[in-house]
Amino acid sequence: MSEPFRRVPEGIALDLPESLRTWLAEQAQLAGEDAVRMDDPVHRRILGPINPTVDHDDPLDELQRQFAIEGALAVLITTAHTEVLSEEEAEDWIRALQLILAATAARHALHTEDDLAALNQEATTAVTTLQAGISLLIEALDG
Amino acid sequence: MDGTDTGLYGSTDTLQRLDSPWDVVLWNDPVSLISLVVRVLRKLFGYDLAKAEKLTMQVHNEGKAIVWTGEKEKAAAYCVALHGYALAATIQPTA
Repeated sequence: MSEPFRRVPEGIALDLPESLRTWLAEQAQLAGEDAVRMDDPVHRRILGPINPTVDHDDPLDELQRQFAIEGALAVLITTAHTEVLSEEEAEDWIRALQLILAATAARHALHTEDDLAALNQEATTAVTTLQAGISLLIEALDG
Repeated sequence: MDGTDTGLYGSTDTLQRLDSPWDVVLWNDPVSLISLVVRVLRKLFGYDLAKAEKLTMQVHNEGKAIVWTGEKEKAAAYCVALHGYALAATIQPTA
């Protein structure tokens, strides 16, 4: 079986099933939409306060964070069906996979290891798929 | 202790507070992989493997760890960078 992420001279080659690529792009889109809804648990998890000792964070910090998050998710969405990622795109994929993972955790109110153990089968598959992707991509990038 | 009055800039106590160090606190979460956290700490802060692993295990075992201390603006920038990897982090004045 070929490796899902493999280093090649141009960057990182992707060998992922089309269904997985489509699912990842959909999840990235969903994470981005949920992250900007103030009352959504995904917003609280991904865009929670930087400095909880004050009422409002520095607007510049908030803006930079929002750009970074939206940028990484956008890269995954636009390159979901590509064959080879550049180094920068691969780094954005790690960020995006992490953001999708955090969004999934927030939707299922995963705060502890016990919460994780009690998760339903579908959500467990989503979490383990994302974790495996992050792990394999790190290996390909740094290995 | 009373600080020296420096006019528009307030007392030296105020200036002292503005210069006081801030901590970047990294919080545990049940889904982020240890390997990812170690990698991010090395990449963002330039820590060697041993220090990054030690801090990551402190986060994992104790629920949080102070991963950096210094100037407030820089602490906020590091916090933003950690959030870019969906890691739960906050800043606080150093106790």
